[in-house]
Amino acid sequence: MTSHYRTRRLAIAALTAVIVAGLAACSTTVPNTTLEPRTEFGRAIDQLWDNLLFWGTIVFVLVETFLIYVILRFRRREGQPAPRHVHGNTTLEIAWTLAPAVILAIIAVPTVKTIFDTQRPAPANALTVEVIGHQWWWEFRYPEYGVVTANELYLPVGRTANFALQTQDVLHSFWVPQLGGKRDLITNRTNHIWFTPESTAVWNGVCVEYCGTSHANMRFKTFVVTAEQFEAWVNHQKSGPATASSAPAATGAQADTAAAPPTAQTPPAQTSGQLPTYAADRLPLYAASYNPVPEALTIGNVVGDAARGAQIYRTAPCIACHVIQGVSAGIVGPNLTHIGSRTSLGAGLFPNDARHLALWIKNSPAMKPGSKMPAFGKSAAVPAGYDDQQLADLAAYLLSLK
Amino acid sequence: MATTVAAPPRYAVPHTRYERGLWSWLATVDHKKVGQLYLYTALAFFLIGGLEALIIREQLKGPNGSLVSAETYNQLFTMHGTTMIFLVIMPLGAAFFNYLIPLQIGARDVAFPRLNAFSYWVFLLGALFMNAGWLFGAAPDGGWFAYTPLTTRQFSPGLNIDFWVIGLQILGLSSLAAGFNFITTIINLRAPGMHFMRMPIFTWMSFVTQFLLVLAFPIITVAVTFLMLDRFFGTNFYAITAGADPLLWQHLFWLFGHPEVYILILPAFGLVSEVLPVFSRKPLFGYPVMVYSGILIGFLGFGVWAHHMFAVGMGPIADSVFGVTTMLIAIPTGVKIFNWLATMHGGSLRFTTAMLFAIGLIALFTIGGISGIMHSSPPADLQQTDTYFIVAHFHYVLFGGSMMGIFAGTYFFFPKITGRLLDERLGKIHFWLTFIGMNLTFFPMHFMGLNGMPRRIYQYQANQGWDLENLVATWGARMLAVAVLVFIWNFIKSRRSGAIAGRDPWGAATVEWSLPSPPPEYNYAVIPTITSRYPLWDVTSPELTADVPHTPEGEKRTDISVGGKGTHASFKAPSDTHMAAETAHPSAKELGIAMPTPTLKPLMASIGLTIMFIGLILKHSVNYGSLWLPVLIGGAAFFVISLYSWLLSPLEPQHD
Repeated sequence: MTSHYRTRRLAIAALTAVIVAGLAACSTTVPNTTLEPRTEFGRAIDQLWDNLLFWGTIVFVLVETFLIYVILRFRRREGQPAPRHVHGNTTLEIAWTLAPAVILAIIAVPTVKTIFDTQRPAPANALTVEVIGHQWWWEFRYPEYGVVTANELYLPVGRTANFALQTQDVLHSFWVPQLGGKRDLITNRTNHIWFTPESTAVWNGVCVEYCGTSHANMRFKTFVVTAEQFEAWVNHQKSGPATASSAPAATGAQADTAAAPPTAQTPPAQTSGQLPTYAADRLPLYAASYNPVPEALTIGNVVGDAARGAQIYRTAPCIACHVIQGVSAGIVGPNLTHIGSRTSLGAGLFPNDARHLALWIKNSPAMKPGSKMPAFGKSAAVPAGYDDQQLADLAAYLLSLK
Repeated sequence: MATTVAAPPRYAVPHTRYERGLWSWLATVDHKKVGQLYLYTALAFFLIGGLEALIIREQLKGPNGSLVSAETYNQLFTMHGTTMIFLVIMPLGAAFFNYLIPLQIGARDVAFPRLNAFSYWVFLLGALFMNAGWLFGAAPDGGWFAYTPLTTRQFSPGLNIDFWVIGLQILGLSSLAAGFNFITTIINLRAPGMHFMRMPIFTWMSFVTQFLLVLAFPIITVAVTFLMLDRFFGTNFYAITAGADPLLWQHLFWLFGHPEVYILILPAFGLVSEVLPVFSRKPLFGYPVMVYSGILIGFLGFGVWAHHMFAVGMGPIADSVFGVTTMLIAIPTGVKIFNWLATMHGGSLRFTTAMLFAIGLIALFTIGGISGIMHSSPPADLQQTDTYFIVAHFHYVLFGGSMMGIFAGTYFFFPKITGRLLDERLGKIHFWLTFIGMNLTFFPMHFMGLNGMPRRIYQYQANQGWDLENLVATWGARMLAVAVLVFIWNFIKSRRSGAIAGRDPWGAATVEWSLPSPPPEYNYAVIPTITSRYPLWDVTSPELTADVPHTPEGEKRTDISVGGKGTHASFKAPSDTHMAAETAHPSAKELGIAMPTPTLKPLMASIGLTIMFIGLILKHSVNYGSLWLPVLIGGAAFFVISLYSWLLSPLEPQHD
């Protein structure tokens, strides 16, 4: 008897632990939640989810309650008469075949309706955005405006965005949780997904189809901005790169800001200065990029010179892969025309500052496993590579490309 | 056939060394020994797969985990999934098929005992092949689903995927051979009176599973053969540069992959359907419906595969069709759960460890089933797929379902296999640690997924709202690790010195419990005649089966002797006095029963096959590339010679 009692106490403890874990999970802030949709697509899904959660909870409570009741009520007792011999009951069995069928019908009807609603062709005035997946970064093209950028997606609030999804290599999947469901990028196909962002904000986006070594490091940021801000951003992106001023950029300046995650929440969602882009220091905490750099990868505290960097760039191997409008025309890597105005580096991994940029050029595979960009810093393996000063110059030049 | 009772044949067994020690295991064709080999091998891989899971959880304990590199992590999650599916749950199922099906249907062995041994050896060598990549730092890293084009030579030039492709080919051969073997066994070797609708429910669910195996594995075999040809011989089935459509692989893979889910769960359903009636002291509620729902699940399981692909953009019609068929499959599954509850209702419940695990399956599989319905709705799935919500879902199905059922079956059948009982006190500790640890590990994953955490990521940043859930899950995994250690300790200890079980320690109903524990080589000295679904209860507790259909009066009926008389009315710890271990049986020879003779030929054939595949993988090895063709041809020749020698040597001792 005591062992039964102990068993029961254990069961209650287990249940409590589960519930506590569940509640604790709910109480943290959840910046990537799927349950607070900000598009009509997301809301349609969320309504289905509410329906599913409602019926799921009912079935869960009924089944588990009945199970617990049976466990407590029909425990073997001393001197108990033999159980009644029941080996079936046709009426009951028909009933519990039909009941789930009815619940499933209640779920299936709105499901099918939602499928057809959300997979209609996008409205004619939608903003087309071509999303091109690469191992392991995102290319975004706005054919309407002739704008090409990488890893940072700008969308105007209130206008439907129609995404044409393609991949250059393996499969990827495009997902911004608050904006609705995901859609895979399938090689040799163009997939579509569309939705209308309903409020300005910054959201994290990720690749959710396993795509190889740095699948986890294929992130992007989505900036939903006002129509005016979006227009300003487009005009800025369409303009050529800023001419290299001699603005110095020190690689040691931000030395350790990235080692620890930022702790203070900066005011979100404003563009800064004259630039119609988000400033890295104004990103909300969850959208900041701050992965640690491997300890073995270091750079001296040198001050880079943008003008010298521009000179180096013209003959550097960089030009084989990267576009800087009017300067270089490589197409393998991300477009760098306005790289200085982006907040992050390496598809959402690092802050886009002089130190990280110089380190990235020095040895990007050390910072991002599998990175297709070779190490260009001077080392035993690459004796002809750039020294720290040259790396800092290149970083200063790229950062000046606002 | 192995079951003939003939005049004592003249025995000319040349290899007496096959009767004991290591040789007896290498040369065995006894389904009970093969079953044990499956059991021990699968448990060993359970430890490996569990260790992989533990490393994964330690890596994800907090943000920016750095225990392992991205490359290692990708290998770990690939091999964790591959191991748990192909090297743990499937072979644990096979262990029970092997051990129990002949016993439950009243047969002396499977239909093709040597093919059975061959299945095991091929499985073992395939499993080792699959894991051999670890030795070269090149374990498979394409995910257990191995989506093309990532797994084509263009994007995965290393040996990693080669180990997976070839390993899976080898394992598929094992499953196919076993599937055909058990179908033949169940159809042909049932004892007199063992009509289909009297078969123990575990055998029924296994029967359905075998059909799934023989129908689903050819599909993955074709898919993997294409990939193998692409990777080794430059064909273009999946070559995107030649215009291949990556969805070809996905359709083939999931057309196999979804029935595979039922291959993993139906044997567990069968096991708990054996355990629940015994410890409720009631016949299984709605036996025919349980059978039909199992068959229906098997059928519907082939019509839902594309629900793994709602995000690929199949269009609204395909999405709707596969969404609705997926919902339909919930109906027979729900019926099973309700029938189990009804079996317990009104019963006289005895909470042995086996019963606790069976109840654990009902409680936890229900959660997995409900979350499954949540992503049967394609738009909802677009938010859930490839997130931790899915990880939570299928761990409730496969850990909360399959593994719970297998543990229930292990505690229940261990005494039949070993003659000794697993320790109940350690068993209950094992159960509660497992039950709590499992929920701590996997329940928070629902929240992680709904909060946007993708699957298959080796690192995540802080401030994403995922830290606490990940920490809890890691502690849960640690608790599961302790639970597994308790189980292993219990297993080893009870194997050696557990309480003697006797023939029927639980008061069970089916015919295998009339045998000594462990049963003699030939199982049944006299093949029993079966008169109802619960032949032992007819003898020991006829009041329980009064309602159940029986053979009409007057039909021939052979009495079934049950050891340990008087132990059935109530459960008592068996004492040595009335349940002494029955170690001394008359031998098959003394009884004049012709049993297949032990032989090494199945083992040799499987070694030849493996050498052949080692030759193939050498093709892309840097150092030994030139050896590939000689090794391949040598292995193939050895395989063919072994097969011939196998086929030309008689199965049973020569009668003359």
